[in-house]
Amino acid sequence: MTTLTRQDLNFGQVVADILCEFLEVAIHLILYVREVYPSGIFQKRKKYNVPVQMSCHPELNQYIQDTLHCIKPLIEKNDAEKVVVVIMDKEHHPVERFVFEISQPTLLSLTGISDTLLSHVEQLLRAFILKISVCDAVLNNNPPGCSFTVLVHTREAATRNMEKVQVIKDFPWIVADEQEVHMQEPRLIPLKTMTSDIVKMQLYVEERAQKT
Amino acid sequence: MDELYLDNIDEYVNDHNKIVTYKWLSLTLGVHVNTAKQMLYHYLDHKRKESGAQLHATYLVSGKFVDNGQTSHKVSVVREEQLEDFKSKMNLVVSVHVYSVQKALLKDSGPLYSVDYDAVRENLKTCSRYSAIRCPSAVPMSSLELQQVREQQQISTSHHENKKPTTNGDTSLTSKPSTKAPKGIMGMFSNKPAQKNHDGSAEVKADPPVVDAPKSKPAAKANPMMNFFGNQTTKKPDKPVKEEEPIPPASTKQQQHSSSKTAEKQEAAAVESPKDVKADSRSKTKRIQDSDSEEERMEKKKRRRIKRPEPDSSDEDVIPDSPQQTDTRQASKSPEKEAESAARPQQDCTGGKVRKRRRVLKSRTFVDDEGCIVTEKGYESESYSEAEDDVQTSKQTPKAPTPPKVSNKEEEKKSQKKSNASKGTKQASIMGFFQKK
Repeated sequence: MTTLTRQDLNFGQVVADILCEFLEVAIHLILYVREVYPSGIFQKRKKYNVPVQMSCHPELNQYIQDTLHCIKPLIEKNDAEKVVVVIMDKEHHPVERFVFEISQPTLLSLTGISDTLLSHVEQLLRAFILKISVCDAVLNNNPPGCSFTVLVHTREAATRNMEKVQVIKDFPWIVADEQEVHMQEPRLIPLKTMTSDIVKMQLYVEERAQKT
Repeated sequence: MDELYLDNIDEYVNDHNKIVTYKWLSLTLGVHVNTAKQMLYHYLDHKRKESGAQLHATYLVSGKFVDNGQTSHKVSVVREEQLEDFKSKMNLVVSVHVYSVQKALLKDSGPLYSVDYDAVRENLKTCSRYSAIRCPSAVPMSSLELQQVREQQQISTSHHENKKPTTNGDTSLTSKPSTKAPKGIMGMFSNKPAQKNHDGSAEVKADPPVVDAPKSKPAAKANPMMNFFGNQTTKKPDKPVKEEEPIPPASTKQQQHSSSKTAEKQEAAAVESPKDVKADSRSKTKRIQDSDSEEERMEKKKRRRIKRPEPDSSDEDVIPDSPQQTDTRQASKSPEKEAESAARPQQDCTGGKVRKRRRVLKSRTFVDDEGCIVTEKGYESESYSEAEDDVQTSKQTPKAPTPPKVSNKEEEKKSQKKSNASKGTKQASIMGFFQKK
């Protein structure tokens, strides 16, 4: 966690870094907890001083990193409204959607931030991680053979910011199909909310009523 | 005690979907840990009788276990399903109590640690306020004493290896040796000058490819003792990451090739607890932290917890397990083979560096009658010596010897040099033919 000083004016970047780190850990954890991939590829690592499960598979890791790398400029500009991790069954119908709603306060000033070491933010993020670990209790089991994808809902037409990064990374994003975005008979289960000086985030799960 | 606690726990478990551990409960409600344990037990009992509510519980079991004639004291957190099985394997069950109650079936024990983390952090100085473990002689050192101890450590670490635990004083001993467990493994190769001598001795013991289990065990055991040198603070350590604890015992156990998963876990806890039993009063304070030790490793192969990028390489050096041994043996075979095969052609050559003449295809550029520049290719004879070819071909040979270089035996290094040199002379005769076309 970076320490915010008076000289550190690129606040958007700091927040984007923190959020992208968190999203990476959260995505890995979701994949582990919801058994999208066999648990053998995961190993325990430490983040925010607590154990989390991260995958060792290089291609999966690279995919997640590239995804978040492209999302980062959107978060910096506060254009990303929601980041959604969609778990789909074999027919590519969404079964579960983990929605991270992100909003950053628009009038940011360094003097308004009391938590300069961001330890409170770390505590809140830790709570998110914990909540994801126990979300099994409120969700039904997924059918076997699921896959996942990441969607980003942006405000206005912010995708032009992403294009530069896409070209460099050779990691193209496409507009999502209706099929992937909308789910039949969704049930909404809120998991966690956090409010802090630098960011507000909410995590909830939309689950399809009948999964198999 | 009134019945409100049942409602409280119900709220935490069902409404908030929390994991309620006895420690968290005692800190939250401000009750003694034993009371908290009983509360959890009653709640579980009550709920199960009342309705088939889907609740899961984990238990803390501690007792004596005999393995190959060795008695050890084991403390483990087990799931409810495994409880009876676990208890039946133990010779004497000293204590069993509810560790946590939650709605979700936990896939791994990470969240159990996370739950208590914040609660303990807030009450860092007083987190043992409600605990049942007491040690009257465990008193925090004053800053003066602390300074003296630090000076002593810096001066005389190399001489007083075995006496160190006593000179360190009580509180640094109460701090968990395995909180420094990553440093313990890192400590084997750490850069701290104080530990260099120990590192050296540990490395010598650990390096030989054929590892004797008793040899490596004292090496690993010595390391937690060496951890005491690193302990220079008296403040209560931050809640140790649970999975760090079994790393030193896990590393030794790997070499012993334990068969089943549960046996491994048990031995991991077992090796740790005999160390604790050595220190008498200290063991009691440690046990409360031992009680948070892991019980399961999801994957047998994933013993090493990667906290930082570095431990990977050092772990592999410390733990010369069989795959690496076979690698080194295979690697040692290949350079030897190459050395042999290379030696034979060498004998066939007339030997040494002899100047020879050969026909080489060369291109000549000249101006012809009409004033045009013409390039012609033609054979010309040229003299060469083997020395030139050695230099050129040696650039290509390093590719092959690099796999054998993974091993760190000196003999193999010598054989590599041999194969390098012999390859140069061998390929000279072949490559020289293709070199200049």
